[in-house]
Amino acid sequence: MRRDKPKTPERGRKGLSRRDFFRGAGVAVPTGLLASQAKAPKAAKAPAGAAPMLGPGRVPITLRINGKVEKLELEPRVTLLDAMRNYLDITGAKKVCDRGTCGTCTVIMGGDAVYACQVLAIEAQGKAITTIEGLNAGEQLHPMSQAFVNNDAQQCGYCTPGFVVACKAFLDKHPNPTREQIRRGLGGNLCRCGTYTGIERAVLEAAKAVKGGSAHA
Amino acid sequence: MMPWLEAFHRPTTIAEALRLMKRGGRRARFVAGATDLLVEADPAARILVDVGRLGLAYIKPHRGGWRIGAATTMAMLEQSEGMRAFAGGILARAAAASGSIQIRNRATAGGNLANASPAADLAPPLLVLDAQVVIAGQKGKRRLPLADFFKGVCQTALKGDLLMEIILPPLNRAAGRRGGERSAWSFQKLGRVESDIAIVNAAAGVGVDAGGRCRWARIAVGAVAPTPLRIAAAESALQGRPLDSESIALACETVCREARPITDLRASVDYRRQMSGVLVRRALEECLAGIEPPRH
Ligand SMILES: Cc1cc2nc3c(=O)[nH]c(=O)nc-3n(C[C@H](O)[C@H](O)[C@H](O)COP(=O)(O)OP(=O)(O)OC[C@H]3O[C@@H](n4cnc5c(N)ncnc54)[C@H](O)[C@@H]3O)c2cc1C
Ligand code: FES
Ligand code: FES
Repeated sequence: MRRDKPKTPERGRKGLSRRDFFRGAGVAVPTGLLASQAKAPKAAKAPAGAAPMLGPGRVPITLRINGKVEKLELEPRVTLLDAMRNYLDITGAKKVCDRGTCGTCTVIMGGDAVYACQVLAIEAQGKAITTIEGLNAGEQLHPMSQAFVNNDAQQCGYCTPGFVVACKAFLDKHPNPTREQIRRGLGGNLCRCGTYTGIERAVLEAAKAVKGGSAHA
Repeated sequence: MMPWLEAFHRPTTIAEALRLMKRGGRRARFVAGATDLLVEADPAARILVDVGRLGLAYIKPHRGGWRIGAATTMAMLEQSEGMRAFAGGILARAAAASGSIQIRNRATAGGNLANASPAADLAPPLLVLDAQVVIAGQKGKRRLPLADFFKGVCQTALKGDLLMEIILPPLNRAAGRRGGERSAWSFQKLGRVESDIAIVNAAAGVGVDAGGRCRWARIAVGAVAPTPLRIAAAESALQGRPLDSESIALACETVCREARPITDLRASVDYRRQMSGVLVRRALEECLAGIEPPRH
């Protein structure tokens, strides 16, 4: 689950990442979200306290993702998922349906699993957000990720980052899960490759590993 | 995804929230968990007014019943000890079936009702519990029965006003409970999987006297008409009769007759009509099992 090149996703021909390119060129991509926005400038004119009026135009937004404080200026329409993927290069949470159905964008916000595509970045402020990138302790895989490897719980891997995060959030609330609880509790994530039985085994294994006094527990 | 969104307001008082909605006019919408809003993505909605800072996320005991703030999430409802114990826990059960955990952590009770989908899972249990809603508008607060709140598919009595809270009256008063009476409740949902949008959902409550006769019955179904419905004719079909398979079958026939479903991508008219009867039967059978005296 570790990202090898944290800040250089999808290198293009001229050494520009696709994201750098969109950002720099102001190209209108279909969602229209990338055009007029950039990573936060140094001096964000953040109004003190809760401003009643936010927008139109960019507003200062502060997010706490994987323990790091990220200051951005975004239009209010930007979702947490787009903020992470398009402005912070935190690309572990994937975008598939963009309508709260598939689970690939799952992150943990304030202790709860949520779909990052269904939370506006502006609403995600003030809560600790954990993505797949934030689960590991250095080089060592989180027990949940390790259990996915051990149990062949992925095939193409596209659902995996969201699924692992959903499993971690589930285990936090159900430390001794039954198979039935696992099935119901993880119904918010889809795997087109059908790796569900592997995932079920992985969750059971991780539940044991966490209780066994792992460093990540 | 709402690329056309222009502004987002985070009012901290109800007066401010109403002022912002008035100023925004047709372009403004309240937003709670955004689980319906971001999927519907109505291009007319340019301004969002967040209800998350109005202190409306609570579940409080109230004169033998309950008050539930509009911003209370499904996850809060399903985890609440009070809700799990009240009326067979049907509201907690419905909340637990309302989408995946990622949805339930965000989706609110107020959003579920204000969105007024015919399939809203909280509607049938709230209807059989005789819930009332409290609405705050420009001219002050008003209170009305939930049955009068739904006006059509995605249409309510709100008209731009704020849904503040849901009131659950005490069970005994509303049910006119007398000595020797036993009551039971049920929530049933049919979806492709339980967490999917309901093809049909239903809730029921019955009170039975010492002789096994049905004193009162309440039956509500969803996704079989433009709004979630109480089926009064099915309720009176049970009243005064012994609660048994015969009277239950009669009530279910009535439900099928009263249902006015449509065909959509989830199910056909005929299937919905038939399943509305099946779900009510399951609900009443669960109630019957719940009130049968313990066998010795
Ligand atoms: C993948 C998925 C699965 C789902 N599954 C289910 C399911 O199984 N069962 C089910 O019932 N629903 C389901 N839903 C629908 C949705 O999650 C619920 O209806 C939810 O309760 C809506 O609440 P919300 O807080 O997200 O509302 P929002 O999306 O924030 O708002 C919905 C509507 O209500 C209005 N509104 C919100 N709060 C107020 C208020 N206090 N006063 C006035 N107006 C208000 C908004 O303006 C908007 O029009 C699902 C949705 C998704 C995306
Ligand atoms: S991309 Fe968010 S749930 Fe599918
Ligand atoms: S591994 Fe391919 S979608 Fe899950």
